[in-house]
Amino acid sequence: MRLWMMMMCAASLGAQVNFQAEVRPILAKRCWACHGPDENGRQAGVRLDVREAAVKNNLIVPGDSAKSRIVARVTHPTRPMPPSGPRLTEAEVDALKRWIDSGAKYEEHWAYRKPERRNLPAVKDEAWGRNAIDAFVLAKLEEKGLRPSGPADAATLARRVALDLTGMPPEAAVLEPYLRSPGAEAYEKYVDALLASPRFGERWAKVWLDLARYADTQGYEKDNRRVIWPYRDWVIRAFNENLPFDQFTVQQIAGDLLAEGTVEDLVATGFHRNTMTNTEGGTDDEEFRDLAVRDRVATTGQVWMGQTWGCAQCHTHKYDPLSHKEFYQLYAFLNQTEDNDHASDRPLLRLNKEVSTLVMRELAAGKQRKTRIFERGNFLTPGEEVEAGTPAFLPGLDKDAPRNRLGFAQWLVSRENPLTARVTVNRYWSRLMGRGIVETEEDFGTQGALPTHPELLDWLAVEFEQKWDTKGLLRLIVTSATYQQASAVTPDLLARDPQNQWYARGARFRLDAEVVRDQALAAAGLLSTKMYGPPVMPWQPEGVWQVVYNGDAWRTSQGEDRYRRAIYTFMRRTSSYPAMMNFDAPTGETCTVRRIRTNTPLQALTTLNDPVFMEAAQKLAAGAMTESPRDPGRAIFRRVLLREPNKLEQQRLALLYRQAEAELRAKPGNAQKLARFDEVLYKEDRPVTLLPDARTKPREWRYQTAEPVAGWEKADFDDTPWKAGPGYFGYFEKPDSAAALATPARTRWDTESIYLRIAVDLPEKMPSGFQMPIRTNCSHEIWVNGVPALTNVVYERAGHYEYELTAEGQKAFRPGRNVIAVKATRNNGTNVGQVFDAGLVAVAPLELGKPVRPDVVRAAWAVVANTVLNLDESLMRR
Amino acid sequence: MDWKLETARRATRRHFLKECTLGLAPMFLAEAQEGAAARLPVAKAKSVIYLHMAGSPSQLELFDPKPELVKYNGKPCPDELLKGKRFAFIKGVPKMLGTPYQFKQYGQAGTWVSELLPHFSQVVDEVTMVHSMSTDQFNHAPAQLFVQTGNPRFGYASMGAWATYGLGTENQDLPGFVVLTSGGNNPDGGKSLWGSGFLPSVYQGVHCRSQGDPVLFLSEPEGMTRSLRRKTLDALKDLNTIEKQEQGDPEIDSRVSQYELAYRMQITVPNVMDISREKPEVHAAYGTEPGKLSFANNCLLARRLVENGVRFVQLYHWGWDHHGSSRREDIRYALQPQARTVDQPLKALIQDLKQRGLLDQTLIVFGGEFGRTPMRENRGGVEGPYIGRDHHPYAYTMMLAGAGIQRGLNYGETDDIGYYVTKDKMTPRDLQATVLQQLGLDPYKLHYPYQGLNQRLIGPTDEGRVMKDLLI
Repeated sequence: MRLWMMMMCAASLGAQVNFQAEVRPILAKRCWACHGPDENGRQAGVRLDVREAAVKNNLIVPGDSAKSRIVARVTHPTRPMPPSGPRLTEAEVDALKRWIDSGAKYEEHWAYRKPERRNLPAVKDEAWGRNAIDAFVLAKLEEKGLRPSGPADAATLARRVALDLTGMPPEAAVLEPYLRSPGAEAYEKYVDALLASPRFGERWAKVWLDLARYADTQGYEKDNRRVIWPYRDWVIRAFNENLPFDQFTVQQIAGDLLAEGTVEDLVATGFHRNTMTNTEGGTDDEEFRDLAVRDRVATTGQVWMGQTWGCAQCHTHKYDPLSHKEFYQLYAFLNQTEDNDHASDRPLLRLNKEVSTLVMRELAAGKQRKTRIFERGNFLTPGEEVEAGTPAFLPGLDKDAPRNRLGFAQWLVSRENPLTARVTVNRYWSRLMGRGIVETEEDFGTQGALPTHPELLDWLAVEFEQKWDTKGLLRLIVTSATYQQASAVTPDLLARDPQNQWYARGARFRLDAEVVRDQALAAAGLLSTKMYGPPVMPWQPEGVWQVVYNGDAWRTSQGEDRYRRAIYTFMRRTSSYPAMMNFDAPTGETCTVRRIRTNTPLQALTTLNDPVFMEAAQKLAAGAMTESPRDPGRAIFRRVLLREPNKLEQQRLALLYRQAEAELRAKPGNAQKLARFDEVLYKEDRPVTLLPDARTKPREWRYQTAEPVAGWEKADFDDTPWKAGPGYFGYFEKPDSAAALATPARTRWDTESIYLRIAVDLPEKMPSGFQMPIRTNCSHEIWVNGVPALTNVVYERAGHYEYELTAEGQKAFRPGRNVIAVKATRNNGTNVGQVFDAGLVAVAPLELGKPVRPDVVRAAWAVVANTVLNLDESLMRR
Repeated sequence: MDWKLETARRATRRHFLKECTLGLAPMFLAEAQEGAAARLPVAKAKSVIYLHMAGSPSQLELFDPKPELVKYNGKPCPDELLKGKRFAFIKGVPKMLGTPYQFKQYGQAGTWVSELLPHFSQVVDEVTMVHSMSTDQFNHAPAQLFVQTGNPRFGYASMGAWATYGLGTENQDLPGFVVLTSGGNNPDGGKSLWGSGFLPSVYQGVHCRSQGDPVLFLSEPEGMTRSLRRKTLDALKDLNTIEKQEQGDPEIDSRVSQYELAYRMQITVPNVMDISREKPEVHAAYGTEPGKLSFANNCLLARRLVENGVRFVQLYHWGWDHHGSSRREDIRYALQPQARTVDQPLKALIQDLKQRGLLDQTLIVFGGEFGRTPMRENRGGVEGPYIGRDHHPYAYTMMLAGAGIQRGLNYGETDDIGYYVTKDKMTPRDLQATVLQQLGLDPYKLHYPYQGLNQRLIGPTDEGRVMKDLLI
């Protein structure tokens, strides 16, 4: 290995120099941080990013490396430049010298030149390719002395392209014709069916929503809910309808400014309303509005142009040609919208009686803001005023273009723009091929990686910007021979191309979080195909949602909403859905261009033990037993992997089945739980009301307002001298809502505190999971049979809210008579009135009856299904 | 080789390949290479226990006595203290507020501690009090994020994530970075406070819960026994091996190893998390009650975790935001019970670690995200019946102990009313640099390339200092 690399180095000595590949990376990485575009950070007045400055004072003497001071500085024996980090290697110094000797010509950074479409390269093996992509890939392979792998088998390919295009296994009606008679033509038909499936939009919308930092809450401390799912639905529709990418762009950035803008165009502007809103008490709205605008600038740069503009908010970019001032000129485009970090998230667009969603609105002409440079990025130290404008290193706005967000949006997708098509094509390529042609999808600047196949990237970019046809681009990629290769790898190939950057084999990578879930549910036959609408709450463990000052609760959805595709799962920024988080799904706090795929034991625990996956295993087994009563194991395997198990695999699964069956036969109680896992899991399906609250049949409580003697909260305390009255307790000066009017105060309470007691009888078979629906704006402490069970500080809350009792409180209940004692105390600052009302609900005990023999069989197959869902192959796209 | 690093390897192999120089052992990990490049020859601390008091306790009631302020009690706040200042809730001209609590000096160092912390006052000679902390954030979530992730905005890597990125963990069967919460709520900054930001998600803190599974999905689904689970894992291993033979991808082996680690965690984590195994005298010292959700329990857990090789234990204890807008936020009524929840466990933790010989290698940090104003809060410009203080970023107190930190030191000073730092100012950046240094990581070198920048915990500039004065 070492020898080989040295030979590589030796081979390049004395050869012609390639500025982009050899010299620019050295300068960019090792020099420009201190000797680059940022004049404030520039050391010793030396500038090496432009030739004019670099040739001053003999720093670089074109044609004469020996006289160039830079060479002496980087090779200085004791104090070499750069002062930190390792010395430049001999090869790096050599490249510098050769470059200087050959005239020290600077070239524009490759990504800032307009992509050009070149002729397809000549290849030796002309029989291999299927389309233009293959010519570029094969030419590189031949250059590297590599050979492409053979095509993947039909089942593998069918699963691969279905997961890539629709994020889930294909429907049988689509899959079967292809598997019956596979071939090039059948494959293309199969691909077209996938592209036409509504599932396509759901998959690719998710890719886009990572970029849009989409979530269903406002973020920051309180992280309250917001209604922005209409934007999510817009994205799904846009992908399904194959909205051309230029229109897709303009509508999202400036849909509100379009001449004949529709409601849909407005909803599309939700893209930049996904910035967070800080409603923490005492925050400065302008401070967080400013942060939102910066985020919009940075996100736009990331998403469309692969630029790290965020760096320039405090100072001129250290590496890329974007000045501090230019950042704020971009900022000025986005600084004229009405939203201002207000808790209400205004402006909103009313879609119907129930739904209003966040949209962009431009400030009226007279009310527009001035934009100033913020010194060191601090919004409290505004500097020079700037006008909206685009950076000098890129082509400018069209002469006639409006100088506002609309003009800016059109500029992003102008054919003169060298970056947008390249960045977009590269991103889609990466989702399909496992890595980008430019590996740093998020950075096409000077610090980013160089493209492995520059001509291919340009060819695709030019192709894409003809019609901005997203489906067409994806189709082109997945119908290439490159894409369709088998992914098996030999040790030799692994050593020569561990990252598969030359594509001598098909890509093999971990499934995204959403696909892990959707695949399991689809194989189980559980996955709902219901589209659109408010986010849903599939089961998650209790206690995951716990947010300061926000008693909002996760309530498991009912019916098919439990099994919707992952894209419809409620996303709370500060509390991700655990199964998503463990598999690296982003939180929506910032724009995520590229997910980093990790491999952790928490993932194993999730797919092994998360009850949602166990339920999927139960249903998968049940479905397989119906489909193939004689060989459920084979059917389980086929439902997940779309292929038949080989003989070894089949034997191993059969062994596992026998082991599981033997063990479960000995423990029929366990078998019953596994076979009927859904009944065990969904406690919500067995609610019982133990104490009705004021909304239904209010019961009489004992109460008094004076502080009682010690021990008043105990079960055996004699409360007969207390007064009696039904809830709710309190008064309202002006009932402020329909709910307040509907349930009047039945017992007036207007003093500081009130003490309440009530007895509740419980049956011999105890319910569990006690919760108290409480409506109050008062702080309260609650005891169950004298045991502290709940303490809450509450200022405002409109309706009833179900509080979970503490573990101690839960344990304090017993069959027969129980006493609940409450002390409620109003909080200062409430002048509209005070209210307290409570009830008690729980989950009825699970009645599974006596275990039966078929439970054992079903449970054993569920164990097998749980195992198959955890196979490496099941969790990979290969 | 620890599992965090092992798992990170595949994810970012690109760094390994890109940075690969001749002679580097291929076994060496990409992450380890970049993180480890910042390792120093000496590490004073093996572990950190960071006790974050979310909401920010009042230094003026606990650690920083100001007799002058007591004298000015009830007088209007001078204009020059208000000019150009932003407060969360104070409006107009508030009144000065002296503390209602008595302070005394304790220990050989003569450290001032208020009557609210009778236990802690007994161990002041073990710790360094920094009275001169100063931050630039005055809202909870941004201030918490700033001290914990080096940036007031979401999306950055937390201190514990940086520590495990740089050092890994010592116990393969436990997460390297564990988070425990108490006080009834998660901190304002939410899970981002222990997030991995741009670092691979293997480095994020694992929030261990006191109720239910300590780690989510640690226990088998109902009906699945441990022995049945073992059989499924054996089958998985065999089936994955068959796949490996056909596919050749080494990723398959790493999947197998993660499943085995998961299985070991299922056994190890509940054992470590079970404080009922401790002796009665230990429970008496900490004031712990097994099964309860409390700061005391979390302190004892923290000791058990570092004892078992966890690198970074982060406790968040909520409930210090005493604005005085209700009785429950009144410093006269609410501060004492709140102080009681931490006083005894804090002493017990320091003494327990010392007794076990762990204090020398465990860095303890205690404090909030900012301080409280010397003025009485007047929310909406009105003084209500209750008494409290607003957020105050300019001066507050933190405590450090163990692992090379001076014993019995009082560092830094504030002015007569506790408004500004007058001597030896220390910032969250300084704290971050010092914590990393004690862990044996060079705070200036510990970086991760992301979006064209070398991201660091201490931020882009070198203003964060290792606080040599605090170190032995």
